[in-house]
Amino acid sequence: MTASASTAKTATGIDPRGPRFVAGIVAIKFLVVIALALLGLDSPGFAIAALVLAIYNAAIFLWSAIAGVQRHPYGLIFRKLIRPRLKPPTEFEDPIPPTFAQGVGFFVTIVGIVLFIPFGSIALVVAGAAAFVAAFLNSVFAYCLGCQIYLVLARVGIVGRKGAATA
Amino acid sequence: MTREHVLITFGGMDAGTVAIVLAGLVLAATLLGVLHRATQGRARTVSDSRIVSIEGVSLGERATLLQFSTEVCAPCKSTARVLDDLAARTEDVAHVDLDVTRRPDLASRYRVLQTPTTLILDADGAVRARIGGAVRRDVVVAELEKVLAA
Repeated sequence: MTASASTAKTATGIDPRGPRFVAGIVAIKFLVVIALALLGLDSPGFAIAALVLAIYNAAIFLWSAIAGVQRHPYGLIFRKLIRPRLKPPTEFEDPIPPTFAQGVGFFVTIVGIVLFIPFGSIALVVAGAAAFVAAFLNSVFAYCLGCQIYLVLARVGIVGRKGAATA
Repeated sequence: MTREHVLITFGGMDAGTVAIVLAGLVLAATLLGVLHRATQGRARTVSDSRIVSIEGVSLGERATLLQFSTEVCAPCKSTARVLDDLAARTEDVAHVDLDVTRRPDLASRYRVLQTPTTLILDADGAVRARIGGAVRRDVVVAELEKVLAA
């Protein structure tokens, strides 16, 4: 017997390996951001390159946070090239958690971009490292950062109550 | 070498140093992941004599698997499937999946710091065990047996 507020949505579920593949690409992209930003500490050319890549990453995050992780451009790569070579998934996943994670990624990246203005390249090193660790843990260890952050937001009352409508 | 000196040489970073920093970051993240994984799904025995009662929810006759979830939590869904199945197979054991978003007061009362968090309640509704993170079936079965045997 189960009293459950969440509804099973296997019909619209996604392959859970998709978001982890996406997170792997994101982790690699942020390693590049960090590398460029470190070289950019005393070289404006590298600093600008790091900033451009960070803005590109932020744009991808924003797009998938709004349009849903099912429309993530790297998710398309997974579906077209990777998934046909894999066994079918043993279970499906709700797209809401990984979509929320894209929003978290956008927030961290945009903080780095904004802080680039007063602090320069080091802001992208720090924000890039935070984003890398989250994406890496998600990809390799299936770590769910949103599970912690969303809970904190719910407990202080920022999210919730209206949650039922967006499900 | 003074701290300031380190910061100054940090400014003039060459490709080799960058590679070392990146490797260090990957290593640190890996250690973090291994540490985190070790804590997930482990059961802690709890002796909390306070009785759990949630309005509008009936607990199991012999035991209850009380799960705290949010809708943005992927491991909550897999945990719900395991607990749901165990409750269905075990007589007089109920699985209750509570959305923290709708009841943040309960998350505070039971100091839920991550989702999913699962509490195993005995027949009286007292908390006997606590599992943080995605559950492992064998761990839940072992803890449940202890509660049912008591």
